[in-house]
Amino acid sequence: MALPLQSIKSHFPIFTHRPELVYLDSAATSQKPQSVIQTITDFYEKENANVHRGLYELSSKATHRYEDVRKKVCGLIGSPHPNSIAFTKGATEAINIVAQCFLKKDLRKGDNVVISAMEHHANLIPWQQICLQTQATLKIIPVNNNGELALEKLDDLLDAQTKMLAVTHISNVLGAINPIEEIIAAAHKKNIPVLIDGAQSVGHYPLDVKKLDADFLVFSAHKMFGPLGTGVLYCKEEYSKQIDPLNYGGGSIKNVEFEHTEFLDYPHSLEAGTANIAGVIGLGAAIDFIKELDLNETSNQTKKLSIYFKEKLKSLGGIKIVGNPKNFSGIVSFFLENIHAHDVAGFLANENIAVRAGHHCAQPLLESMGVPATVRASFSIYNTKEDVDKIIEALVALKKFWA
Amino acid sequence: MSSDLKKLYPEIIKAHNETPFHFEKRLDANEVIKAYNPICGDRFEIFMTSDSIKINTVHFHGFGCAISKASTSILTKSIEGKTLTEALMICTTFLGFIDKETQDEKITLPDEFLAFSGVHDFPERYDCATLSWKEMKKKLEMNQIAQ
Repeated sequence: MALPLQSIKSHFPIFTHRPELVYLDSAATSQKPQSVIQTITDFYEKENANVHRGLYELSSKATHRYEDVRKKVCGLIGSPHPNSIAFTKGATEAINIVAQCFLKKDLRKGDNVVISAMEHHANLIPWQQICLQTQATLKIIPVNNNGELALEKLDDLLDAQTKMLAVTHISNVLGAINPIEEIIAAAHKKNIPVLIDGAQSVGHYPLDVKKLDADFLVFSAHKMFGPLGTGVLYCKEEYSKQIDPLNYGGGSIKNVEFEHTEFLDYPHSLEAGTANIAGVIGLGAAIDFIKELDLNETSNQTKKLSIYFKEKLKSLGGIKIVGNPKNFSGIVSFFLENIHAHDVAGFLANENIAVRAGHHCAQPLLESMGVPATVRASFSIYNTKEDVDKIIEALVALKKFWA
Repeated sequence: MSSDLKKLYPEIIKAHNETPFHFEKRLDANEVIKAYNPICGDRFEIFMTSDSIKINTVHFHGFGCAISKASTSILTKSIEGKTLTEALMICTTFLGFIDKETQDEKITLPDEFLAFSGVHDFPERYDCATLSWKEMKKKLEMNQIAQ
């Protein structure tokens, strides 16, 4: 039995402490439920110890809980093997690992990497930089006027020299949901591995790496009700042996001599140094929380809120919504014709409404669409119709203020 | 409407935002100073024509929030016709006023500077008010060293 939608907000203590808060910035980071906060506190209060190191009960318990989260992540994303899951600092670090420690060593002049025009900087710069370092080419799947990927161009972009296709599941600016199953299948026809940036989707939409046949999937705990500073790299078994360590240090080795070191296999090879153990255990609690939800119901609810919001925005006049994708999530970007996004966000902040303003770490996308800066409202499971009414009311007042 | 927000956007700032001073690209300028904030996307270019002593004309173009646009407009207006040394002093005075700690209490500030006092209550808008001024100050200091 899933948690009822009406009572979900009560699980998030920030709204008890700040009842006036209208939080519409979940695409930047989600709020955290009590269960996640309590799990992290309990770990530090009652169970704190390092993992894979001590022979005492506390350490073996911490190790067990830490390793158990790999299984929980597998359950969430449909991976059959706990050893397909590496813990990272976040989605950004996970993409950098694939770029720097997997792809770069095989990238040559004449090769190319394909990404899309709607990528977050985190799924653009790591590929751009290794291409510059190896004289490979970065190719871009364009975005059409609706803010959807121009997939009719994909087949031409993927060629015998393409070494990686990296694409986001959901755009953090446009809210567009990309048909990743179709994209992965197109790349696999040409034996090209695919990385999916799941930062805006994992934990919010049902997703199955096995069914999708994704080669790499990255996401951050903090955008799915978990703690900051923890993320996940999922890697298919056939590629995992080819990933070199990012950091060198303790905990990632089989044998060390002064002359050389033998490393553990993936994923432990990537987890040198003491990990963010409480973060990983907090991620486990976030997954437990998500398991209590009906993701079809909650994602439908956030989508409905974004539809209601877009309708209200249109009725205000003088407001442009960026993109109009056929499949979309609870993310809406817009701008006012005569008032800069920063002034809008500042005004809303004064009314206790939290939104994001600016480029949203997707500067080339906005520039290609001819938009300097936008206001972004992003909805999550704790948002309600009243939140939409409040932001609309504030936008009416804002227009009066600037009239 | 909270009175705080009215203090952030007084009439002087609103007026400079709506009809900024010398808001045009000047390709004949001998110096182009770029002021760009990658976080919010504000991006201005300041076109300056000067000789070794005096700034003859200043124009600017670009986009940004009302605070950053008005502040760039007031910068442009404040330093046009001034000597390079005077312009640097004006930049130092303005930035000192925004950054309360380095403010020189003895200096009487023009109304166009005082219009930005609302920023003191909205520290997140500090970068908006100072973006172009900081770049201009850097440029003028570099010119001084070069001479």
